[in-house]
This record gives sequence, C-alpha cells and structure tokens, in this order.
Amino acid sequence: MELLNAQTLAKLAGVKLRARAVVDGVLSGLHKSPHQGQSVEFAEHKEYAPGDEIRHLDWKAFGKFDKYYIKRFEHETNLHAILVLDGSASMGYQSAALSKLDVAKVLAGALAYLLVRQQDAAGLAVVTGERFQDLPARAAAGHLRIVLDELEGVGAHGTTDLFRAADHLAEKISRRSLVAVFSDLFDDRPEALKRIIHLRARKNDLAVFHIIDPAELSFPFDDPTLFLSMEDERRIEVNPREIKQSYLEEFNSFLKSVRATCAEADVDYELVRTDESLDAVLLRFLARRQERRR
Amino acid sequence: MTFAHPWMLLGALAALIPLLIHLFDRRRPRPHPFGAISFVLRSQRRTASRLRLKRLLLYLLRTTILIALPVALARPELKRNAQAATVTRGPAATSIILDASLSMRYADGGTTLFERGRQLARDALRDLLPDEPANLLICGPGAIAPSAPSFDRGQIRSNIDSARPTFGSSDMNRCLDLAGHSLEENPMPGKRLVLISALTANAFRLNIAPPTLQGPKGERIRPEVVVRDAAGGKQWLPNRAVVDLKIEPALQLGPRAFQFTFTVRNFSPEPVRDLEASLKLGGQVVAKGFLDIPANGASQKTLSYRFSSGGVFPGEVAISADNLTADDRRPFVVAVPKELRALIVNGEPSTVRYRDEAFFVEAALSAPGSPVRATTKDAEAAFHDSFDQYELILLLNASAPTPEVSRRLVEFVNRGGGLLISLGDHVEPDLYNQRLVEILPMPLRMVKTAVDPEEADTEKKAAKLGKIATEHPIFSLFTGRAREGLMSARFYKYMLLEPGPGGSAAHNTEVLATFEDGAPAVAVTRRGQGRVLLYTSTVDRDWSDFPIRTGFLPSMQRFSAFLSGSLEEREEVKARVGDSISLLSPAHETIASVRAPSGAMLPLRPQEDGHVSAGPAEEPGVHQVQDSSGRPLPELTFAAVLDPSESDLTRIKPEELAAFFGEDAVKDSGLEGTHRRLPFWSWLIAAAAVAFFFEGVLLRK
Repeated sequence: MELLNAQTLAKLAGVKLRARAVVDGVLSGLHKSPHQGQSVEFAEHKEYAPGDEIRHLDWKAFGKFDKYYIKRFEHETNLHAILVLDGSASMGYQSAALSKLDVAKVLAGALAYLLVRQQDAAGLAVVTGERFQDLPARAAAGHLRIVLDELEGVGAHGTTDLFRAADHLAEKISRRSLVAVFSDLFDDRPEALKRIIHLRARKNDLAVFHIIDPAELSFPFDDPTLFLSMEDERRIEVNPREIKQSYLEEFNSFLKSVRATCAEADVDYELVRTDESLDAVLLRFLARRQERRR
Repeated sequence: MTFAHPWMLLGALAALIPLLIHLFDRRRPRPHPFGAISFVLRSQRRTASRLRLKRLLLYLLRTTILIALPVALARPELKRNAQAATVTRGPAATSIILDASLSMRYADGGTTLFERGRQLARDALRDLLPDEPANLLICGPGAIAPSAPSFDRGQIRSNIDSARPTFGSSDMNRCLDLAGHSLEENPMPGKRLVLISALTANAFRLNIAPPTLQGPKGERIRPEVVVRDAAGGKQWLPNRAVVDLKIEPALQLGPRAFQFTFTVRNFSPEPVRDLEASLKLGGQVVAKGFLDIPANGASQKTLSYRFSSGGVFPGEVAISADNLTADDRRPFVVAVPKELRALIVNGEPSTVRYRDEAFFVEAALSAPGSPVRATTKDAEAAFHDSFDQYELILLLNASAPTPEVSRRLVEFVNRGGGLLISLGDHVEPDLYNQRLVEILPMPLRMVKTAVDPEEADTEKKAAKLGKIATEHPIFSLFTGRAREGLMSARFYKYMLLEPGPGGSAAHNTEVLATFEDGAPAVAVTRRGQGRVLLYTSTVDRDWSDFPIRTGFLPSMQRFSAFLSGSLEEREEVKARVGDSISLLSPAHETIASVRAPSGAMLPLRPQEDGHVSAGPAEEPGVHQVQDSSGRPLPELTFAAVLDPSESDLTRIKPEELAAFFGEDAVKDSGLEGTHRRLPFWSWLIAAAAVAFFFEGVLLRK
C-alpha cells in the first residue's frame, strides 16, 4: 500500500495547517507560542539558573542589578504533533477497499507529511494492546520517512486499550502538542475516551479521527451469522435481520455519545468511513480547524 | 363436526414441519470476525426476550396456517340448532323409518323413547310438503318392506299410532335398504329417508355401503337422509342388564339343589353398588343378594335354591329395575329330577360287603346329589315284592326270574319303568332269552372270557371298551379327559349277545358302548313306555374292574336317570327373542299350541323330521306348550331370553353416522329443531389468512 499518493498530496498542497491558539513551535507567523525563546519581542526576565543558555544572559541587567538574568522573548514556534494510531485487532476489520487500520495509516501519514512540510514536528505513537511504541516528534524532513516507515509496519493485533494509551501519552508529552488519535474507539470501558480527552486539560490540542467501517455503520448482514470477536474469544450466533434495528440504535448511540463527549471537551472530532475519499476527510478536518482558529 | 374429505386431514401433519425444522436444522452459520461485536452482543441481550416472544408467535402462526389449511380442505362442517324448516331440498318421496327395537323401550323423562319416536314420526309427517308422498316402516326384527309412498296421511298416522316397540333388535341397514327400495318406483326425483331411532351403535353396521336406490335411469342414487334422535342427543343411555344365566346342580346342598349363576352388565360410565338381585320361582322371591358392578363392566352373582320335589319349574332371576326394564330379568325353566325309587335285585349277596354284587351299585346310587332311593333285596325277596312302588329295577347278576316274575317285569317296563340288567355267573343266557325276550335289548349268547383274573398279565390281556356313543345323553359326560374313566376299565369276562335284536320293538335298540372286539357292552332299548339297559359284564369285580374306576359312579347314575326318563331326557331348549324354536313332540303326544307370557299364541309349523317349529318368539319369558287336549307339556316348556347385545345402548357418534350416510346426503335434526350446518372450513381459511398476515407483520418488525 502506498500511504501518500500524488492525488492526495496535490489536494492538500494549498492548505496551511494552523494549530490552535496556544501551542509551542518555532515557525513564526503561523503559531503563537506562550513559551519563551529566540524572538524579536521581549517578554520577561528570569533569574539565571545553572543549565540556562549563557548566550541569553542580559548583561545590561547584570550591570544594573549585579545579578544574572536570562532574557525571555515571545516568538513564532513550530507545531508539535503526536499522531496516535490504534493498532488493535478490531482496526483490521475490512468490508470495503481499505481496512480501518489502512485508513488510519493513510490519514496519519498524510498529516505527518503536512506537518513536516510546513516545518512542524510530527511524532508517532502506536498502541497495540498493551504495547506502546512511539517516535518522538521532529520537524526534520528525514523524520517523515521514518514516520512513514513506522506506519507501514503497523499491524492489527491485540485489544483496544485507550486507557493505557492515554496514560502513556500523558507521560511522554512534555510540551503542548497536537494529539491526533486515529481509532475506532471500540474500548468497552466508558471512561477510556474521557481519559484520552483528559490530555486536552493539559493544554494539548486534541483531534479524534473516529474510523468506522461502513459495515459497522449499516450492519448489512442477512443470513444467520456467527460473529467472532477480533480481539478476544467472544462469539455469538444471531440472525442479523432480527437484531439489526437494535444494533443500529446501539451503534448510533455510541457515535452520538462520542461526538458529544468530544464537543464538550472542545476536541476536534472527525468521523471517517473507510469507503470515503480520504483527501476529502483531511480537507474537511483542516478547514474546520482553520475555521475555529478565526 | 364432520369432514367431507377426511383424508385431507393427513395434511395437518405438515404442522410438524416448523417443529422438525427447529429440532433438526443443523445448518452452520457463516463465521464472521467482526470488530463491533460488543454492539452485537448488547443488541442481542436487549432483544433476546422480545425475539423469543416473536419466534414463539411466529411458530404459532405458522403452525396455525399449516393446520388450518389442510383441515379447511377436509371441508369440516359444524352443526348448529336453528328453527329451520325440516325439509329444505325441495319435494321428495319420503319413507319414515321408526325404530321399534328393544332400545326404544328405554324410559326417559316420563315417557319412552318409542313414544317420543312416534311423536317425531308424526312431526315428520306433518312437515312434509303437500306434494310429497310418504310411507312408514316399523323397523323391528323381521321388518318387511313398506308399500309404495302414498298421499294417504291418515293411514300412515294410524299406522304410527298402532305401532308397538318390540323386544328384539333392529337391523337399521336392512330397514334403510327396504325403505329405499320402496321409493324407487316413485317418479319424483327427490328421495328422502327419515330415520327415527335411539341411534344405538349395535343397530348400525357402518362397515357396509350406505343405502342407495335405483334412479329413474337405472343409476344408483343416494337418498337424502334425515336423522332424528329419539334420545334427544343424550350422550349416554345408562342401562343394566342380566345378560347370562347358568344353572347347575348344587350337589353340596343336597339332591334337587341348584345354583343359578347370572351375569349382570353395567352399560354406563358410572359404577353400580349394592344392586339388588333376586331369584324368583312361581312369582315368589326365593333367594336374594346384592352385587357391585364397575363402570362399563360386568359382575356375576350366584344364588342357590333346593327344590322340595322334582319337576319342571319356570322362574326368573331379576335385578332392580332401571330405565329399560325388559332386560332386568332373565327367565328360565329348570328341570328338577324326581326322586327315583329303585329296587336292586342282588343276585349274589355276600356277607363280605365288597364282594356283594350290589355293593358298588349301592354306593354309586347313594352318592350325594343322587335322586335315587334304592332298596336292595336278594332275588327271592325282590321278586316277591310289588314292582309298582318302584320306578327302576336293577337286576344284578340275578338268576333268570320265573315266568310269572318275568311277566310282571315286562308289564313294569311297558308301563314306563326302567330296567337295568347286569350279568354275571348266575345269569343263564337261554332262560333269560326265553323269559325276558320281550324286553331284552338283544338276546344273550354266551360268556366270553378275555383272561382269567388269576393269570399273569391280566392288564394286557383283559378286554377294554372300544367305541362309546358320547353323543348319547348317557355318555355325553365322557368326553375329553373324562373319557379315560371308561377307557381305563378292564373286563375279564363279558356276555356276547346275539347280533339280531330280539322282541317285537327291536328297532328301538341302540348299542351305546362296545368292547374292542365289537361285542356290545351297553345296549339300551325302549319297550312300551319304559326303557331297558343291558350291561354285559358284572357290576362287582368278578368279571371286571370297572366298579373301581372313576367312570363307574357317574355311569350308574346316568344309567338310572336315563332309565327313569327323569333327567337327561329333557333337553334344554335355548330360545332367543326373534328366533323360531324347534320342538320335538313326546311319544304319543301332539304339540297343539305354544303360549307366550302375554297369552299370545306362537305360530306353529310342523317339520318333516317330526319337529315342530314355533315362533318366532316375540317376547321374553316362559312359553307354555300344550297338547291337543289343552294339557300342558311341561317337559317342552321353554324360556325365551333377550339378545344381550340389544341391552348395550352405547350411542353411535353423530359424526360416524354423518360419515356413513355422506356429508352431502345426511340432514341431522334434533328434538328442538333442525340443525343447520355451518361451513366451518371458511372460518379456517380466514384464520389461516389472518395468521399469514400477522406472520408477515412479525417478519417485518
């Protein structure tokens, strides 16, 4: 599978990704940063402490106060993005051309490409059951290849454990970041999504790409079917026609609940069907973010 | 409910299909790994109870469809009372058949079924259209074809009024055929049979073809049948009946004692307790008892009575009366043996009892239950005695009587006395032949010695009996294993007889038993009004060991009874109501009349073999036979009994009757009004359609 095809890249070329208001970064003009660094606009002084850069010492202040002060500035910064990919077995379900995992990879790869192209840092975190693999966020062009290679190697295994993923991310993310989650959110624990959203409380920007297979949305089965769980030993034999109505109600309720939870926490939420055009999904996502920024 | 095409009901087995599919469908569902299985599980949990209910409803609806359709195709019809006109099929020549069998005597609600049947017949006659001709058939035993249908309603009504129930059974099939044939000549296209009956099951034979009659063009057509139930639709007509009676001598109670064992059946679903049963003789109750009878079962009761004298006695056993009284009693005629005074002429008396010639005979004739009162005397004393005081004389190895005594003996026999002659060493054949020629069954010739009793191998060499006339009353007992009682006897000596009979009435002689060589052992003859039996060996153990064999005692008693003409001579006449009875006139007598209990005379028809056929008997009870001078002939008195099957009033099921006559031919009517038939099948079709609709609705939900 080719993660980024030329068509997708052409459509995304004119769109500038703007992070939300308060994120760290180094690209000026696009992202306002609350952090101090190399900039033209002075912000404050800070008493020197061992480890601070000697070159930021304010010698004039030393002359006045006989104390070492470090000069701090407001200046443009890069967006720091962590792409969180759910690699659980349920993501391997596929009734259309691409599985949910395939779609997640494409979307994550495309975002990584966009981020790196505009000098933003992109990192990757893959959650596969109890395993948590991550690549630190970097803005280097060479890093994009590493991210894409890493994405290429992700397979669908294990259970969906958003709980653990949230804990890992909270531990790993040391600065304000854009956290983009690509998952079907099929975690039976109702508080798992809230745990993810809790990252938002730590000043991170959070986007949820909810990837759903069309068969999961429409339940198009007719004959008696033995449904097997993709993550554990559960199985059930049902006549799909008999439970379709109930299933759709349950599933729509789930979607509604997820959407409501995200909206409540001011989290970008994007429902992605695996059979729809992925560039349209990205454009829709970016347009919405740009809209919110204004 | 009745069915026009009952075989279509087999289609209802299709109702098992949903169940069988459920039980045996082992289709494996397609496995499908599914990411959102949690939602499937939750949905299934949420809908499980609703689905179970839905499946149950679907099963019921589908089963309803699969049952309703074949049952509807079987064309069921319900009957419902309605005050509709009796006749709905247009004018028809009508034959009214009124059941006159015993069952119609059943009392119900202050009247009898027959009275009710008569009213129904009048109603049927009244309901006829003016242009409908009719006739009447009273269906009893020996029913005859009615005349052609006419418009003389007055005559038919008169015939209905004069009709009486019988004591016999009715063959409804025959009556229907007779009535049907009577309608054949009538030019009207419509033919109708109105059947008025108690509708008991035994009156119908449903395994034969229903009545048909010949149409105007020679084709077979089925008449319309209107069934009217004289019992008013009752499910049961409870009845108790004495269905059997066995009369046996009760030897343990002494001579002339009899036990009457009778069977009472309870034709009802309720058991009967403490039912009174009695034995009546001459109108007087002489014994009484009680018995319990289970539901639809039978019980036996034995009552005993000892008659004080011999003779022929009519009587009856009876139980407490119920709704059908005719079968609550069973008449009988019992012949009680008269006391026989016998003179035993002992030809070889002995002080040693067992060597006495008469020892074994005395013992046999004095056994309990024996009607014989014997007096034993030696020849000299006996021959000086008057023979008039005896009915029976036994000459046991007696020397030939003097001519005077011989003459008296011949007179004794001719007057009706019985004479038994047994032989022995004291018998001189020539003198016997000379003096008793008139009464000897066959002349004596000489003594044959089969073996000397003192020799070895007497058992093998001794003579045995060969042929025995077990068809004769004397030896009728000795059949089967009892025959061994005679065949085991060994005879060392016996008297050979001249082959030709002697005397003037020799043609009356019968040889009833012979030895193996064909020599007569027992010969009997009739002389005048008396009988003589000649036994060609001894009645002690001189010439034979027969006296110590088991056959000796009954043989002697039967010999005596035969000779006295008081026991076996009266053959029991078994007569059932509806049967003709064959009677044999006694010698020198002529049967002039047979009088039924009601006083009516039975028609008599002399037969070529000397018998007289009387009857048929039309009522149960004791029938008296009289000679031309009006003198009763008690030995011919007989009791006519009811056919026990007629007491079974089990009702035939209406659907069986409808199926027999054909759905489209039969019209059923009760006492309250005509039953209207409703096409129930259309309801079933509607039910199937509704079930089909709701099944579709359920499937869409």
